[in-house]
Amino acid sequence: MSLARWAEPAVPEGAGSVGGAQGADAGRESPAIHTTDLRKHYRGTTALAGLSMTVRRGEVFGFLGPNGAGKTTAVKLLLGLVRPSGGEAMVLGAPAGDRETRRQIGYLPELFRFPGWLSAREVLFLHCRLLGLARETHPAAVGEALETVGLAPRAGDKVGTFSKGMQQRLGLGVALLGAPALVILDEPTSALDPVGRHDVRRVVLDLRRRGATVFLNTHLLEEAQQICDRVTVIDRGRAVATGTLAELLGGVASVRLRVSGLARTWWAGLTGFGTFSAAGEWVVAEGIAPGAVPDLVAAIVARGGRVEAVVPEHRTLEERFLELLAAP
Amino acid sequence: MSPTLVIARLTVREAVRRRLVAAFGVITVLLAALSAWGFDRLSHARNVTSGEVHVAIPQSLIVFMFMFSFVVALSASAMASPSVSTEIESGILLAVLTRPVRRSEVLLGKWLGLAGVLLAYSVVVSALEVGIVDLVSGFVPPDPVGAALYLFGEGAILLSVTVLLSTRLSAIATGVVAVALFGAAWLAGVVGSLGTLFKIGTLRSVGEVARFLLPTDGLWHGAIYALEPRSFVAQRLSQSSAAAGNPFFATAPLAWPYLVFVGAWFVLVMAAALYSFERREL
Repeated sequence: MSLARWAEPAVPEGAGSVGGAQGADAGRESPAIHTTDLRKHYRGTTALAGLSMTVRRGEVFGFLGPNGAGKTTAVKLLLGLVRPSGGEAMVLGAPAGDRETRRQIGYLPELFRFPGWLSAREVLFLHCRLLGLARETHPAAVGEALETVGLAPRAGDKVGTFSKGMQQRLGLGVALLGAPALVILDEPTSALDPVGRHDVRRVVLDLRRRGATVFLNTHLLEEAQQICDRVTVIDRGRAVATGTLAELLGGVASVRLRVSGLARTWWAGLTGFGTFSAAGEWVVAEGIAPGAVPDLVAAIVARGGRVEAVVPEHRTLEERFLELLAAP
Repeated sequence: MSPTLVIARLTVREAVRRRLVAAFGVITVLLAALSAWGFDRLSHARNVTSGEVHVAIPQSLIVFMFMFSFVVALSASAMASPSVSTEIESGILLAVLTRPVRRSEVLLGKWLGLAGVLLAYSVVVSALEVGIVDLVSGFVPPDPVGAALYLFGEGAILLSVTVLLSTRLSAIATGVVAVALFGAAWLAGVVGSLGTLFKIGTLRSVGEVARFLLPTDGLWHGAIYALEPRSFVAQRLSQSSAAAGNPFFATAPLAWPYLVFVGAWFVLVMAAALYSFERREL
């Protein structure tokens, strides 16, 4: 099924057409998430050392960092599960943890379990009730969630019989109930096989299509590179870089060239473009300024060279990530 | 449906699904059958006078109910000790508490569900025992409803303490502490009875203080009085003041001020549990 059907806002019980999203309504123009110098200390240990970031509405935002960087602590602060030691966090225009705003948030925790004695369908019905959705909408909402995460054939089975991957799918289904404006996914694909990962990416892209904001906490860089509009890299409790992937990766990292008709070290007079090194028949030029590749090619031709091949090589997010983490 | 009732219903359903109710049923039927056999033997014993039977039947009923009060109290502890801590550790509560519900609603819902199971058990087991005794011997205690409610009260008190502990301690630590507290309170009651028997003020004070610190033994004495024939109480007291030293004998009903205190104690413990859970970082 398509998540487009989820775009119709679910009506909370007794809340009229406004629903329970007072916080969200109040801050319709506000960012989905905005933190300023958000800090968290645990008895002498600093989990978050002043996180400042803004997540815009409607984007898929990657929250990247190595293990122990403070990602899950940040997520728990955003959801009000822990109290900040300092700083400020606003979610959908309301202070983090605001009860009514939670109606608009779907959350898939990193480590979680549902009661093993409930069936998948019962878990979803339970969360419909906890969300305060109108009773008549429960069967449709549950059916759609089961279809979306591919659990419809196992809907009546006890959660206790589910594999970790199936529990992860169910957790995702629970997070999607109630057409949330913000979905926070904490390592959503950690227990999934390739098919499951593909399904999660599909769900995330469907959410973006219907205008929801997705906050994706992950250490899987390939995943972030595939689906995120912007990312923040966090290390030791602090954001070390934020931007679109293009901004973060900084354009072309190096160019591989195959040139004939010139001396063996033809690049001697072109070091202003970058650093050159020979690699068999190829020459690798590194540190080329953004947009300077055509100028480099023109300079080689002006010297009488024949440019037989130009292969721009982009940095991977992993390379950039490691650079950022290595920075002092 | 309010979140409190949603959680309460879930808790009751868990008790049924995880065969807690079935276990209660099997144990109760077995113990009730055993007591029926015992009461029948006692009622028809050849070498016992009818006067002795009239004394022995209520005393035996009290001892049997004492056993059931243990079952109620220990069940309260066993059911409630994993109710918060284990669900935090396993991540079950993470998904629930990020919904638009108050933590107090979740905690009260759990308490309400478990208390409902205990109340049902207390009423059923009291009705069963009183019915058996009536059938076998014709004796009906003066206040069986009161006895059932005091039995439930004992369980509810221990349930509240266990819920409070569970907001901070692991399930196993909570269970051990709660059971130890219950045992200590009962033992302090026995020590107090001995103090009364031997007229030792210090020991009597231990029992009195314990009744206020953890009112389970105090409520148990309310249940005893509700099960004793009034004539039996008057007779024992007229015979000897030492009767008051019997831990399975109550000389008077629970005073209203004490019941008011128990109510206040309960409110205080639940308020502490709610505050503790509200402040708990997940």
